[in-house]
Amino acid sequence: MIPTTWFLILGAILFSIGVCGVLTRRNGITIFMSIELMVNAVNLTFLAYARQFNQLHGLIFVFFIMAIAAAEAAVGLAIFISLFHHRETIDVDEANLMHW
Amino acid sequence: MFEYLVFFVFAAMAIIFALVVILHRNPVVGALSLVVSFFSLAVMYVLLEAPFLAALQVIVYAGAIMVLFLFVIMLLNLQHRHEPSTRPVQQFLGYTGAAAFLITIVYYIGKYAVYTMPAGPFHADARSIGLALFQAYVFPFEMVSILLLAAIVGALLLSGRAIGHRTGIGTETTEEPAGKAEVSR
Amino acid sequence: MAFDATDIVLSIVKIAIVLSFVLSVTPVMAWVERRGAGMIQDRPGPNRVGPFGLLQPFADALKFLTKEDIIPAQANKLLYTLAPAFGLLPALTTIAVVPWGRPFVIPQMTIGGHVLFTGGRLFEPIIADVNAGILVVFALASLSVYGVTTAGWSSANKYSMFGAIRSSAQMISYELSLAMAALGVLLVTGSLRLSDVVWTQAGSFVLFDTIRVPAWNCFSPGMWLSMVVFIAAAFAETNRLPFDFAEAEAELVAGYHTEYSSMKFALFFMSEYMSMATMSAVIVTLFFGGWGIPWYHVPPTFLGFLLSAIAFLIKICIMLFVFVWVRWTIPRLKYDILMRLGWKVFLPLAIVNLVIVAGFIAKGWI
Repeated sequence: MIPTTWFLILGAILFSIGVCGVLTRRNGITIFMSIELMVNAVNLTFLAYARQFNQLHGLIFVFFIMAIAAAEAAVGLAIFISLFHHRETIDVDEANLMHW
Repeated sequence: MFEYLVFFVFAAMAIIFALVVILHRNPVVGALSLVVSFFSLAVMYVLLEAPFLAALQVIVYAGAIMVLFLFVIMLLNLQHRHEPSTRPVQQFLGYTGAAAFLITIVYYIGKYAVYTMPAGPFHADARSIGLALFQAYVFPFEMVSILLLAAIVGALLLSGRAIGHRTGIGTETTEEPAGKAEVSR
Repeated sequence: MAFDATDIVLSIVKIAIVLSFVLSVTPVMAWVERRGAGMIQDRPGPNRVGPFGLLQPFADALKFLTKEDIIPAQANKLLYTLAPAFGLLPALTTIAVVPWGRPFVIPQMTIGGHVLFTGGRLFEPIIADVNAGILVVFALASLSVYGVTTAGWSSANKYSMFGAIRSSAQMISYELSLAMAALGVLLVTGSLRLSDVVWTQAGSFVLFDTIRVPAWNCFSPGMWLSMVVFIAAAFAETNRLPFDFAEAEAELVAGYHTEYSSMKFALFFMSEYMSMATMSAVIVTLFFGGWGIPWYHVPPTFLGFLLSAIAFLIKICIMLFVFVWVRWTIPRLKYDILMRLGWKVFLPLAIVNLVIVAGFIAKGWI
């Protein structure tokens, strides 16, 4: 039985890596992937607590987060495709207009 | 003992491939490493006694979401595009900020979140998850289905090519993207 | 985790048996496919090497081994090399959750008075009897797309790239139908475990008080739709004709493996047949009673185990022949028809079937 704290620390490390990716990269898709990484780190933390306190609620939350991540991926990638068709780039610094 | 070995190997894999995602310049390599990272997380879920969720993790993240990412990267042919590097100040601030965040959170986990072993076995099979989902959480469940429907409609609307003269969602439009004309305007 | 040395030995034995089966599928199927094509197209097929051309696969293997291994100059070398392994991995691992015989009690074995085996232990012929069985199948099947996409992308070739893009869109679309079609079976079983799926199909039901029909899912009217959808989606998942858009020869040269040669190509070739075998095993388990033998109650002895394993093997062989038969009978669809078929025909049919099965269960007919 591996201590819950280890999973929490792993989640924290992955979350920080995701934060770092969002802050330092300019490629929209990579930023988006970093966000997915952060979401997964949170999932891991939820599940670690769910096992620690022997309750299903954390697990159900992970389930919902997965569904929402799927929705988010679909819409986010559609936004990037749209951006690419209009501006020929997915560099987030170039997406500086509120409309086109 | 065996469990600890599995934990360390896959934790190391998750972290290393997550680092590849944010450091590698090529988005295809990044997406594939993220798949490996997610797969390692699925192994973590198995260690946390939730094999059902581990399978879901692989199906949803590795099997659907990341394939979508790869599909978009390949469709837009992004791997040949040179990504200009971020200004050094911002880069420095980003790395230090993330590191400070990590140190803080690990410090507080070490201070407040050190638990003794959990009391009983954790039952997270399909049956108990289904019961919880359709009894206590039936309203959020329906909300998620509406959200997914909204996401489908939104994705279709956003990725429709010719925004200027669309005749209807899903109909074939002309190959000339209207966006080009609009950009030049 | 409580396991002793005997468990480990038994696991290794099971893995060895399953692996030897999966690995021997490729040479056998290479021969069956080409002779079958010959039979269907009214020509002899390969018949020069050995009797009936039986040694043809070995000649092919020899040829693969001696060919030059080419890596294109523009290719991403690491991914280009890893791609065949990505393709092979899901094909090799999925079979682990499929039960392939009747569990039996191992009798006590003694050699010269020395107790080799303290009997009484139950031998379950399945490598990993996890309680999320069918989900593992879907999870690993969904990973098989990475072999194709990585190969197609890393080759730096237009045709490979098109194959990769097509295949990723196709796999996502058909996976939904695959999972939806399997849901009906799971609803009847009430469990995700594949061994439970087989057990619910054991026995038989009596029709008109005279005819005894095995209680396989393929004989129950609620399952016919989902069986058709599942088998069609399985064809799409394994990239077989009429859905082989990842490698459509007429349009894309050879699709995702255009640039591959030598052993790397052989690995793709192997993984195609292995995933076919795995898919056949899953189809047989879900719809054709798994290791069950019709009109025969399999006893929990070694003989019963052997008979049931052979029955399972025969069913898989029939299913594999259906794969070959369909390949040489039905022409390739157009790509837009494929996508339309997946989203507008198979998926709704699978959902309709789910409703039908739910209605049957509510009425108490199943």
